[in-house]
Amino acid sequence: MSEMTTGGPHRDAVPPDVDLERVWTRVAAEVWQREPGRLERLVGRLLDAPGLARALVSTPSLLLPWVIASVVVLGVGVAATVGSGEPLVALLAPAVAAAGIAYAYGPGIDPAWELSLSMAVSDRMVLLARAVAVFAIYALLGLAATAASGATAAVTFGWLVPMTAVSALALAVATVTRSANAGVGVGLAAWCLTVLAGQASSGHLAVAVSDQSLFVYYAACAVICAAVVVHATRAPGGVR
Amino acid sequence: MNVEIKEVSRRFGRSPAVAGVSLEAGPGVLGLLGPNGAGKTSLLRMLATVLQPTSGTMRLLERNPSAYAERKEIRRRLGYLPQNLGYYPGFTVAEFVEYFALLKEMPADRIPAAVAAAVERVELGGRARAKLRTLSGGMLRRVGIAQAIVNDPELLLLDEPTAGLDPEQRVAFRELLRDIGQHATVIVSTHLVEDVGAACGDVAVMDAGKLVFHGTPEELTVRGEQGHGLGDAPLERGYSAVLIQARTAANLVEARG
Repeated sequence: MSEMTTGGPHRDAVPPDVDLERVWTRVAAEVWQREPGRLERLVGRLLDAPGLARALVSTPSLLLPWVIASVVVLGVGVAATVGSGEPLVALLAPAVAAAGIAYAYGPGIDPAWELSLSMAVSDRMVLLARAVAVFAIYALLGLAATAASGATAAVTFGWLVPMTAVSALALAVATVTRSANAGVGVGLAAWCLTVLAGQASSGHLAVAVSDQSLFVYYAACAVICAAVVVHATRAPGGVR
Repeated sequence: MNVEIKEVSRRFGRSPAVAGVSLEAGPGVLGLLGPNGAGKTSLLRMLATVLQPTSGTMRLLERNPSAYAERKEIRRRLGYLPQNLGYYPGFTVAEFVEYFALLKEMPADRIPAAVAAAVERVELGGRARAKLRTLSGGMLRRVGIAQAIVNDPELLLLDEPTAGLDPEQRVAFRELLRDIGQHATVIVSTHLVEDVGAACGDVAVMDAGKLVFHGTPEELTVRGEQGHGLGDAPLERGYSAVLIQARTAANLVEARG
């Protein structure tokens, strides 16, 4: 441990009643202090919890690469929608959001998850805040993409319900298996099967997001998956 | 007493990780020794409120960890270094320690000075603004120790804290432990008997999920002189004598049963 930085070459010239350690700690506190970004300050104020705000902006799924990847996917969806006339943004958004939600969770993804289980800010609160934030970002991106592709308002709001269900499924699987990859895989597979089954039964690719009778099943799926997540994190500190 | 646990057990499926452990600890440094799989990590995780006991009662810092509000209060006053501490590679040393200070709900105005003091105490001041991805294993371990002590904890739980530290760093770390142990309860799980001899006022030995010895390092040394302990140092012989005795007794019980 040879890199101690207190003191310095002129230590002997300092009057004996000056506590150099304390002075240095104050200086270091000023120099090392990290100024929170605009988003973090806003969230901190809204939630009245700076710890939760930091946890929120530290999630992998809110980092810039994720947002860029989502913009690209939904941008391709817009182009394909314009070209084909099918509401592909509405079909893509649930799958993209599910991936974001699964990667918002801790075990296997959050490197310091074990440590965060012992914190005063509950891991379930961190999980909830991250899931809501990811969902909100994808909802905004999806809305913008759908508006750009000229789809109708019914379809725009139609994909929000399946998006909730698929995201909840991905989160539940990620929670139970402690693997974000498993959550993404199951979420994507379930959504692909739903879309394909809808096309097979009706001949329309978009029936999975336009048939309102399906929304009851999506809502039921979301509720059941939310219950699974609550159950899996019920013990103090949650999972084993 | 900061730690009072009675007949605490934890099972994973059918296998018991901790089997009926009772322990009391006040301020001071308690070394937790035991072979791999003895249940040390599971016991520490229960004390850190990360893992719920299957049975038994626990009181930590005179609070009940199974009650939500009390658990939260315990966590504010707790420092925990897990065996496998993950890191955010893009965080700097100071950011990482600050992040956990925030999650411990420390008052915001106290955090910058507390972070600076914790980073200095583990002698990482020169690397405070370095990204974690650039640090060596020993430095990362010290970052983990810094986050554990940033809130000046009343209960400090360290699982293999000296893994990856060089001899000089280990000597400095023992001094830090003794210092913190003057006002807080420090429980250190380790494989290194010499760490216990140098830093701990009390020592507990676990084997097969059970607490098979609890006393002072001197008392453990005496057990080595009385029994048939193996090892170079007196404390090592005491440790192995306790383990041999515990296993012989367990075998006898099994044979009779």
